[in-house]
Amino acid sequence: MSETVRSETPFGLIVPERMGKAVLGIAEQVGGMGVLTGQLVARMLPPRIDRFELIRNMHKMGVRSVGIVSSTALFTGGTIIIQAAPLVVRFGATAIIGWAAGFAMLREVAPLLIALMFSGRVGANNTAELGTMVVTDQLDALRALAIDPISYLILPRVISMIVMLFALNVIGDLVALTGAVIGANALLDVDFALFMDSFLTMLEAWDFVLSMIKSLAFGVMIAITSCYFGLTVTGGAPGVGRAVNSSVVAAAIGIFVMDYFSTFVLK
Amino acid sequence: MTIHAQPVDTHAELEPSAASEPSALKTLTAPFSAFGSDLYGLYTLLKQTLQAIARGQVDRESLVAQCYSVGNGSVLFITVTMTVLGMIMVVQSGLQTQRVIPELSLLGANIIQLLAREFAPTVCAMMLATRVGAGIAAEIGSMVVTDQVDALRMSGAQPVAYLVVPRFIACVVMLTALTFWSLFVALVAGTFAANTVFDLNVSTFINFSFVGMSDYVVMILKAVVFGMAIPIVSSQRGLTTFGGSEGVGWATTNAVVHSSVAILLLDLLLSIFGYLVFPPL
Repeated sequence: MSETVRSETPFGLIVPERMGKAVLGIAEQVGGMGVLTGQLVARMLPPRIDRFELIRNMHKMGVRSVGIVSSTALFTGGTIIIQAAPLVVRFGATAIIGWAAGFAMLREVAPLLIALMFSGRVGANNTAELGTMVVTDQLDALRALAIDPISYLILPRVISMIVMLFALNVIGDLVALTGAVIGANALLDVDFALFMDSFLTMLEAWDFVLSMIKSLAFGVMIAITSCYFGLTVTGGAPGVGRAVNSSVVAAAIGIFVMDYFSTFVLK
Repeated sequence: MTIHAQPVDTHAELEPSAASEPSALKTLTAPFSAFGSDLYGLYTLLKQTLQAIARGQVDRESLVAQCYSVGNGSVLFITVTMTVLGMIMVVQSGLQTQRVIPELSLLGANIIQLLAREFAPTVCAMMLATRVGAGIAAEIGSMVVTDQVDALRMSGAQPVAYLVVPRFIACVVMLTALTFWSLFVALVAGTFAANTVFDLNVSTFINFSFVGMSDYVVMILKAVVFGMAIPIVSSQRGLTTFGGSEGVGWATTNAVVHSSVAILLLDLLLSIFGYLVFPPL
């Protein structure tokens, strides 16, 4: 079917046709995510959540990610110090390295990298699970048993992803700070007291709040994207693979774009 | 030529039912105990791959196909993320600099150095790990669970030379190329952001005075090492897949996560190495 359509397209229209298809595809995805968000919000008033599913998902998505998130944050904290070192030395500002590293870490790098890792681990797995359920007709089976798939399957996942990314971000910020302190001590001979002094006096509570706001926004982004791509899988097992790939790619782009706007708006 | 079977570490995750009662201590320590055996498997695979390359066992046709799918297929994705990253870096570091010194004339010089030494290779590699690492693990993993790898071995073809080597070379070459491309894209987007947000002239912002040969050496070194890490980690995850299509899903997820962690760890080590051996100007 599609083969014949393509062969009938005049040569000059191939590129516009492809661009149009791409734009329509993106519009369909954004619209689908919007509809899914609306359905989820409707289930929240009043909340109808399967409590067992919620706790199980929180353990699977949150507790099992602590190791990954901690190692990410530790390496990131160390790397930030090394990259900040030439700047700090150039401006002769060793006294404020705690602030300089903490500012970049809390406001930008830690939430961003933790969200990317979370998307790779939890978001991808969530899409794969939901996708497998869809292609094996398990969602239709739930509907046949008069169980609402959205409030039984989707809502607990979405809530636990948002809550757990938020919680992991707190842990991650702390571990990244530890990594930065160790790095500053080993590489620049900045002792713990000097580092913490500029960190504590020059950083504001808003810097930490901004980090948490960002992680909330990223959590919503990852949750909606991964559930949407999981629910719209077509074409059997290869389709699940494709859905996982496009879900992670879409989540990464969404995280970056959202990060830019939150950095720009919430100064 | 055998591929070492890995001790199974994902059993608990495959059977999430009543058998494995959630235990915080168990789930926290499990990743570390599996780490050692994974590391040995990665070393073995890297050795086998390099040996196969040294013997010249490179399938040219599939090398070109892999280069196309790894490189050309990722250009749009990398361009979008790097555009946004360049703008984020300028806004963020501009805001930060303004709190210490009121003028931003050196902003561009510092950002270009930071991009070359750190963000262009690392973020580009993490994006590539997401897109390509998942694909490698899914392809090799589904070949493993459908016994196609055993079939290869039976017909005398070596799975490592046939499957891993083209992906390995393609990732190394293409990630290096994409790193240069992402440096360029982030720079253009950053110039635009500096111009619109902070009213900086293009000629003030684009300032290569802090960037020396050592920064490019660190950048290329990072790109090459990350380009080796992604296919090795992902192929190893794919080759040790078990448990049907669900196992392929787990292999895919693990490939992305493990290659990202590997990139971040190698980034830290290479940054220390670069700081000590190729110090910034």
